[in-house]
Amino acid sequence: MNQATKPGRRTAAPPGARVVIDGAAKQALEIGRNRLFVIAAVFALGFTVISGRVVDVMALKGGAAPKSAAVAVEQPDRAAIRDRNGELLATSLGTASLFADATQVSDPATAARQLKGVLPELNEADVRTKLTSERRFIWIHRNLTPRQQYAVNRLGIPGLSFQREARRVYPQGAMAAHVVGFTDVDGKGIAGIERSFDGALAAGTAPIDLSLDMRVQHAVVDELTNAIKDFNAVGGVGVVLDVRSGEVLALASLPDFDPNHPGDVKPEDRFNRATLGVYEMGSTFKTFVIAGALDSGTATLKSGYDATNPIHIGRFTIEDYHAKRRWLSVPEIYIHSSNIGAAKMALDLGTPQFRAFLHSVGFNEPSPLEVPEVGKPMSPAQWRDINTMTIAFGHGMAVSPIQLASATAAMINGGILVQPTLIKRTNVEGAMGARVISRETSADMRKLMRLVVEQGTAKSADVPGYLVGGKTGTAEKTGVGGYKKKSLLSSFIGAFPMNDPRYLVLVMLDEPKGNKQSYGYATGGWVAAPAAGRIVRRIGPMLGVEPVDDTTPEMKKEMFVVVNPRAPTLASY
Amino acid sequence: MQRETFLGSGDLGSASLSWPEKIWHFRWVLILLLCAVASIGFVTLYSAAGGSLEPWAVRQMTRFVVGLTLMTVVGVIDIRFWFKAAYVLYGFALLLLAAVEVVGMGAMGAQRWLSFGFFQIQPSEVMKVALVMALARYFHGLGTEDVNRPVNLLAPIGMVLVPVALVMRQPDLGTALMLMMAAAAMAFLAGLRVWVFGAAVAAVGALAPVAWEFMHDYQRRRILTFLDPERDPLGSGYHILQSKIALGSGGIFGKGYMEGTQSYLNFLPEKQTDFIFTMYAEEFGMIGGLVLVALYLLIVVQGISVSLKSRSQFGRLLAAGLMALFFLYVFINVAMVMGVVPVVGVPLPLLSYGGTAMLSLMFSFGLVLSVSVHRDVRIGRRAIMDGL
Repeated sequence: MNQATKPGRRTAAPPGARVVIDGAAKQALEIGRNRLFVIAAVFALGFTVISGRVVDVMALKGGAAPKSAAVAVEQPDRAAIRDRNGELLATSLGTASLFADATQVSDPATAARQLKGVLPELNEADVRTKLTSERRFIWIHRNLTPRQQYAVNRLGIPGLSFQREARRVYPQGAMAAHVVGFTDVDGKGIAGIERSFDGALAAGTAPIDLSLDMRVQHAVVDELTNAIKDFNAVGGVGVVLDVRSGEVLALASLPDFDPNHPGDVKPEDRFNRATLGVYEMGSTFKTFVIAGALDSGTATLKSGYDATNPIHIGRFTIEDYHAKRRWLSVPEIYIHSSNIGAAKMALDLGTPQFRAFLHSVGFNEPSPLEVPEVGKPMSPAQWRDINTMTIAFGHGMAVSPIQLASATAAMINGGILVQPTLIKRTNVEGAMGARVISRETSADMRKLMRLVVEQGTAKSADVPGYLVGGKTGTAEKTGVGGYKKKSLLSSFIGAFPMNDPRYLVLVMLDEPKGNKQSYGYATGGWVAAPAAGRIVRRIGPMLGVEPVDDTTPEMKKEMFVVVNPRAPTLASY
Repeated sequence: MQRETFLGSGDLGSASLSWPEKIWHFRWVLILLLCAVASIGFVTLYSAAGGSLEPWAVRQMTRFVVGLTLMTVVGVIDIRFWFKAAYVLYGFALLLLAAVEVVGMGAMGAQRWLSFGFFQIQPSEVMKVALVMALARYFHGLGTEDVNRPVNLLAPIGMVLVPVALVMRQPDLGTALMLMMAAAAMAFLAGLRVWVFGAAVAAVGALAPVAWEFMHDYQRRRILTFLDPERDPLGSGYHILQSKIALGSGGIFGKGYMEGTQSYLNFLPEKQTDFIFTMYAEEFGMIGGLVLVALYLLIVVQGISVSLKSRSQFGRLLAAGLMALFFLYVFINVAMVMGVVPVVGVPLPLLSYGGTAMLSLMFSFGLVLSVSVHRDVRIGRRAIMDGL
């Protein structure tokens, strides 16, 4: 049949060649022949693809490569990073790196000895091996100082040359290392601002001005270091935030590292606790349940909750650290940090409402801060009433310190969530986010926070004239099999001046141990609040915050709040 | 034509020619093409060594001469001998592969070599040729209607999967892929229905996640790096990036012989083996690269033509299968250095420095010549040999 329909094919083959082939084999040959053409077509396509690719890589896109290589030689120096006042945090220095064309070195042994003479840090045997390697290009030493370059030139050894290189220098050392980050050997940003703004910095057009104020940063790092030493903590976080503009004036995470020698850094020191670490914050979270309840109207400053008995739910028991065993007003719940009261307030507010409120202040996604090292907050997958109750006092949800700072700022700046930034902000209006609570609720929160410092757990944070307000928190860190009583995360978050807050201060100590001054206590009120107070004392004048007299009748009226509406007052007689 | 004299007596065929006559009937165009490509290899290896015959060029030349001799010997031997020897060779290659598993030598994290004192061989290279021979013999014995009986597919699937499994253990992803693709091409030529390939591709797709689990970290990295070379410019992506930079710097006409940066600056390790195309193209440019690809294409065309002219299914499948292997070598290697496919470690035939690859390649071209010379020899369905 095939032969009848394809006579041409038959005559193409040697006549008679098919005589010896039986029918099945013939059919196999026909199929085989057709399929061989298919395979050949596939091969042809394959060769076309690689030929096309050769043209593409070598002539089209590739044609640009030598030009870009030439540009790379004249590449501008990486731009500087400065603080808000122009203080240099990172800059590039031109240096010379020494390399050899080993084939041109006539006497490697002598050359190695002479080089060792002017560059004592070299290993002579090592250099000798390199110089005898017959390689046409081999590095001898990177980043020489001009004096060293001069000394090498004076040796007059043939076959040695210099390559101009740019070396990244961080004049402030470890001071803002976690924010600034660092670059690798080839000058590519691999952490911090150096990484997130790598493109702009590499372009070298303009320096980047950070929101940081190195004077403030210095004060924060200094006080934080002292507190860590005093209380033998494993680490700490310090943040100062402009509550109106969202600008971060100081951001410290200890331990830190020297970005000038990133190779010597232990990985754990590179961990940015302030932005990458997420923690269960403890009582500083009560700010949010109270603000949420006041704003939605499920509670007022005059209402209160019965905190006589601990709450038992399933295997959980919620009890108070500073138990009063009585009915507590809302201000009392806040200043005495009642877990029972906060839990009940959260239930009244309602699980969906509380959850939505926490999301509105940004606790459902990583902070928008401009460093790559931002941690993703953790919240319950299944949010039940028990979660609502524990989250009300800061357990069962973990956020980063910078998130806590930015959300708390929204509670006291009049109720607007402002995106936190590490870049100096010129247009503050543009950074304004959504309103999360009313102006009135925000005013109430200011009074409550002031009250905690006046009468509550954070008295040691007070600084005369600066009207400090805030909230302490002490969370047990989770370990194997539950919470660890002895490993605490003790914090204070506050702001000043509380009649019209400008700056927020957050101090957090990781695993502090009580000492003699704190009578063995390691809670936020004893370890973090005093450090925050000292920071305010130092930075208040620096930032030009005018001291206020809180004893004037006007000021007293402005900050007045009835702590216990059920207590007998003169008016009731 | 000679052919006229033994029409209808295929049992005799060109086996009756003396060996000088057979050499006379070799496809000299094919041999010339092989010599041309190999010469490009010598020239490039000379440059790779910084303008020296040592250590690569001179040894490669020796191997090529040995290879030419081997090819001639293989080419004059009767095709029916190779038909008979197919399974034996396959079994031998399988033994060598298994031996690698036990006593193999490692190179760069993979165990691929067998050492016999004064020389070493890479059994996976032997297996490629042996598998094609064995499959050609198997499918020769089956009619078209038999090929599509599922029972008849079990044996060839086993014949492919056993060496693939051994090669994957080494681990050598490139060879495993080549074995499977060459086998698929042969099954296709033997008349296996097209939907079976569709089903096989679907099955492979379904098994890909499982394969991922079994892959070495370095293999996974290579695939991820292939998808995004910039992901790890200092690690796995280094090869591809350096290769592309070198190729791009070559431009249309190249930097000129011995002017390439690769030979001096050692940006590319393995420049004399897997990345030799980069070296060559940097110096000879796009034009040089295209000329080389064209030479390879002509070689494949020659092989396909041999396959078309063969009157036995064995010869047809053997020549086509060997050409499929050759094509895969060229395609995978060139595509790899240009970042079209992941870096899988496949040499560029005749150019890359390497002994076993060169000899097994010349052996396979010997087989192609044998198919060509004995194109009219008839081989029975069931390997009943006469006088052999």
